[in-house]
Amino acid sequence: MVRTLKIRAYETDGQVIVKSVINHPMETGRRKVKKTGKKIPPHFIKEVIVSRNRRIVMEAFWGKSISRNPFLSFQIPGRKGDTITISWLDNRGNTDSASAKVR
Amino acid sequence: MKRRTLLKASLQLGVTGLLFPGIAISAYPTGAFLAKDIPDALREAFGTTDIGESSKIEIDAPHIASDANMVPVRIKSGFENTESISLVVTGNESPFTAYFKLYEEQNFVSTRIRMADTSDLLVIVKADGVLHTNKRPVRVGRNDCGES
Repeated sequence: MVRTLKIRAYETDGQVIVKSVINHPMETGRRKVKKTGKKIPPHFIKEVIVSRNRRIVMEAFWGKSISRNPFLSFQIPGRKGDTITISWLDNRGNTDSASAKVR
Repeated sequence: MKRRTLLKASLQLGVTGLLFPGIAISAYPTGAFLAKDIPDALREAFGTTDIGESSKIEIDAPHIASDANMVPVRIKSGFENTESISLVVTGNESPFTAYFKLYEEQNFVSTRIRMADTSDLLVIVKADGVLHTNKRPVRVGRNDCGES
């Protein structure tokens, strides 16, 4: 499978700043194919789970109004060398996850 | 067909259950995301529409968004023990946009959203079991220069 997740995590003063981008079309179901006028069915990420050292720190539930190739950034307490794992699940049951070490 | 659904179910389990065993996962608030107006969405998500305003919630978004499909939003909660941060776009067909559940000492999230029209961004923060809200108007630029 193609890599869908990019994660950057770095620490300053005991706070880990995580920035991530998920590659995903995030179709709202309202967009139409110009030629045929047919609607493109919705295809969007419903759930994003973030864990630090295998413990969940955040759950995000998303609707259709999140932009294409969603960007997600947040801050959590932690230190250098921690492992941040992000996994997502979309409305078609596709899922992916990736990890990054805090620098 | 059956095998496929089974596969899907197990994949979902993989995300929510197997990867992080022993931790209760909250359910997707389907009702809130399907709601067509704000009171309905709030009722579905929090069980009440009576939420006090607070300036301790900082919302950082452009005054005028040039691309309605990519409006960057940064939310900072000034409350200790922030449990969740939710984002509602009042002008969208389905206003409820995002719900972030925070399990550690966190008070900041940032993402990019779609806005159908010029409207308010409503942020609802739950801290120590109490709901607070703040809003911020965002104008959406019509990108029609030179098109007609």
